[in-house]
Amino acid sequence: MSWRDILLQIAQVLSVLAFAPLLQGAIVQFEERVQRAQGPGLLQPYRDLWKLFHKQLVVPQTASWIYWAAPVTAFTAMLTVPILIPVLTDFPLPLSDMGDILGGGLILTLGSFMVLLAGLDSGSAYGGIGSSRAVMVAILAEPTLILVFVGISLLAKSMLPFVVNHLLVGSPAVYWSPAHLFLVAAFFILLLVETDRLPIHSSTHIEVYMIEEARILEYSGPLLALLKWASMMKQFILYTIFCNVLVLPWGLSQRGSALGAAASLAAVLTKFLLVALAVVAVETAQSRLRFYRYQEPLAASFLLAVLAIIGTQL
Amino acid sequence: MLPTGLDPLASSLVSLMAIASLLLAFVMLGSRWLDNYLYAFAAQSWAMAGLGVAVGWFAHSPELYLVAALSALFRGLVLPYLLWRMIRRLEVARELHESVRPASALVIGALGVIFALAVSSRIARPLGLGGTVAVLALTVMLATMLIGFLMLAIRREAISQIIGLLVLENGIRLGAQILIPGMPLLIELMILADVLAAVACLAVLVRYLLSQFGNASTAQLRRLVG
Amino acid sequence: MTGALLLLLVIAPALAVLGCLVARPGQAATLNLAAGVVVFAAAVPLTMLSRGGPYRYWGGYIVFDAIGAWVVLCAASVYLLSSIYAVGYMRLLGEDQRLPSFYALYAGFALAILISPLMNNAALYWIAIELTTLVSTFLVAFERAPESIEAAWKYIVIVSTGISLALLGTVLFYWNASFVLGPTYNMTWDALHHAAPSMNPTLTVLAFLLVLVGYGTKVGLAPMHTWLPDAHSESPAPVSAMLSGALLNAAMLGIVRYLAIAERAPSGALPRLALVALGALSLLVAALFIVRQRGIKRLMAYSSVEHMGVMALGFGFGGPFGVAGALYHMLNHSLNKSLMFFGAGNMMRTYGTKEIGQIRAVARRFPVQAALWLAGAVAITGAPPFGLFLSELVVLRAGFQRSFAWAAGLMAGLLIVIFIGFLDHFRAMYFAPQDDEVGAAELRSPGAWCIAPMWLALAPLVVFGLWWPQPLWDFFAHTARLLSSAP
Repeated sequence: MSWRDILLQIAQVLSVLAFAPLLQGAIVQFEERVQRAQGPGLLQPYRDLWKLFHKQLVVPQTASWIYWAAPVTAFTAMLTVPILIPVLTDFPLPLSDMGDILGGGLILTLGSFMVLLAGLDSGSAYGGIGSSRAVMVAILAEPTLILVFVGISLLAKSMLPFVVNHLLVGSPAVYWSPAHLFLVAAFFILLLVETDRLPIHSSTHIEVYMIEEARILEYSGPLLALLKWASMMKQFILYTIFCNVLVLPWGLSQRGSALGAAASLAAVLTKFLLVALAVVAVETAQSRLRFYRYQEPLAASFLLAVLAIIGTQL
Repeated sequence: MLPTGLDPLASSLVSLMAIASLLLAFVMLGSRWLDNYLYAFAAQSWAMAGLGVAVGWFAHSPELYLVAALSALFRGLVLPYLLWRMIRRLEVARELHESVRPASALVIGALGVIFALAVSSRIARPLGLGGTVAVLALTVMLATMLIGFLMLAIRREAISQIIGLLVLENGIRLGAQILIPGMPLLIELMILADVLAAVACLAVLVRYLLSQFGNASTAQLRRLVG
Repeated sequence: MTGALLLLLVIAPALAVLGCLVARPGQAATLNLAAGVVVFAAAVPLTMLSRGGPYRYWGGYIVFDAIGAWVVLCAASVYLLSSIYAVGYMRLLGEDQRLPSFYALYAGFALAILISPLMNNAALYWIAIELTTLVSTFLVAFERAPESIEAAWKYIVIVSTGISLALLGTVLFYWNASFVLGPTYNMTWDALHHAAPSMNPTLTVLAFLLVLVGYGTKVGLAPMHTWLPDAHSESPAPVSAMLSGALLNAAMLGIVRYLAIAERAPSGALPRLALVALGALSLLVAALFIVRQRGIKRLMAYSSVEHMGVMALGFGFGGPFGVAGALYHMLNHSLNKSLMFFGAGNMMRTYGTKEIGQIRAVARRFPVQAALWLAGAVAITGAPPFGLFLSELVVLRAGFQRSFAWAAGLMAGLLIVIFIGFLDHFRAMYFAPQDDEVGAAELRSPGAWCIAPMWLALAPLVVFGLWWPQPLWDFFAHTARLLSSAP
């Protein structure tokens, strides 16, 4: 419990906070560029957050304490999870044994849950629709997420993300085993679903298709900024779990020096760039699915998770 | 049988190819388009040929290379070509009426894989082979066969049923490659020739169906009851 | 001598295939008939010679033992009778241009059926059975009517699926024995017998069950029988006779051989019990469908399911009585089923319909033929003085003797139900008053070629029903010994 470790822990949380909008900007910019448009620029999400923090807060008359509590809870939850997962270092830092992979998943779900309640809270029609649709997607996705976590635990015989990271770095046999590769594929599909990429893509502003946007339609000003930042941080966290725990576990700082941490941050951003390219490629290649067909990619993901669990037994 | 004491990377490779074949069978289950079935079947045959080469390498029996090459040629090229010609002659490109949605079929297939694992562990334990490549071979074999059965049961297009039959045979071949690579060469070749003959006969029957009914959907074959 | 006769047995249909491909329609029928005569003439002495012990040829790939000889004899007699029948029947279909290819396929079908009992290697046996499926599909679809094509599609898909299960069973048997015999060996029945006592019980039971379900699909045991009524009713009558009388036996042979191997391995009572259960289920399903049947050929097809159930019960009960009863049943059923299908084919051509409800006053119009057919109907439901009565009695006795009393009781009860149901249809066809009088001149009797084989089939049935020859008893006892403890 040295000062250096505490500083590294704080640096982890701060880097998630600071670079989440950059990731979002990069994804949107790539997408626009691939479609031969100009794109809003890499730093646009920063400008959006700045703008929102300086706008007036308008609160509906029917709002209760949940209206205030939800953005704060979501934001705080997103700040808590980076403590648990390997972001910059591959050894556990102070307080990172507060929760394992399952615990991290539960905290993420807590944030989403509060925002769901907030969508229902103000009593508007769009909030209700958005919440119910979001819950439907969650019903399909959560069991698969749990199965993926179970698969990871069976693979590494431990539920701590750091142990998984060490295992994958240390033995190529496990890295190339079918269990691991199927977990990667299953998690990739879940990544697409949870971060609202196509074929789900709920972040449009057309009423019929709204899922995420509908829940936060009543928010404005700083609270809206907090919510948007929270969703960007959730995306960053999921990418972190995907890269640092599953797919590209190399490049994390092993001794925790300042130079190591900085290099690790640069490596993390590079890895995210690669994954973002993959996500954009997948997104550009397909169109949005009808709502009742959301079960198809999620059934495929469920299947891959089951196959991965079978693979750990063989 | 494939020697059980392989080094971990080799056994991961064998596992990977076997389970990739199983995954391709699931691709067939989860899709509606006949072309996808074709490509997935061809890919599965090639993955199995790769598995055959790996088994030949690790079991030190060079005649398996010949069998794998012939398998890749006939199951991976000739059969898909025959099927492709059949599909071109049809008017439909996908399953029109499905009795079970592809998503539900995927879940049923996953349950089938769990069942296959249970059966394989149950068989391998008394033989003293629990936890070796034998369990993998039996699981993948039984699971692929179950998926073939599922395709036969829930699909209406004649081509889908033919591909379901071929997946069934592929499953048996998959298990046989790992469990009994020493099967005499003559028998392997004759079974391969038999599969080809079966597909040729089925192709002629599909042509009869087309000329008599105008389409190759088996949903209309309802005259004979009782 | 045996080798020469075997060669003759195989070459005659092969030459017929080649000849029919280049012949004219009239010649094709004659070629096929000639092949049938030669095959039968070779099969009878072969049966008598087979008692000399299993002969092996071609480096162990061909085996000729008693039970194989018996199956060959049944197939040969059906081939001869239906070839005679086909000469007259196929002319009535009006498809003279396609008859040479029909006879070529027909002789090829007979060839495939004849060689399958001779295969020593279990995998080659599987290939021979699969070949029979492929060839007979086109025979079933010969008439190119929608119903025929539907029947052919169901036949090939269901039977191929079942046969794949049998292949899985074969693979598992090979794997099981490879722990004893090494990774590469010739999988002959003898090798499996040799390795059987050291085979793993769980795996043996699983492999046998797969083989039972797989070849059981081909035999027509319920609940895998769903292709049988369609295929047997939509094919031309000579083909139906071959399918029912010859092919089902060849598939049953596989089950019997594997049962003998499973018995030698310490695999408990489950294999026999499974066979008995499937036999009883077949009887039940057949009884239910016979009682409510509306089509004349589907009625005969369900009767095939019933008799295959009886044979399964016979082989499942086992012991000298069970095996003897089942084998005697095999020959009598082949003759009787041919007779019934010939009669049904004649009625179809004459009345122009397959519905029982529209065939009326048969006794009045065609006295001789009607008497033959009615005699066949009484015989096939197991009444004396015909052969099937004796064989079913022996099977029942075996059931009670081998502590399968529940199955034997069930069999007796269902046979009575089938007797009543089956003959009720015949009562309706023969003696029910007819509403509208169709002119007698419109209904022509089929030619002598179609009636002579019915006489030829009925005569042995009466003989075998009144007299079970002692040489046959000895033959069956010898076969039962072979099946229970082979070298």
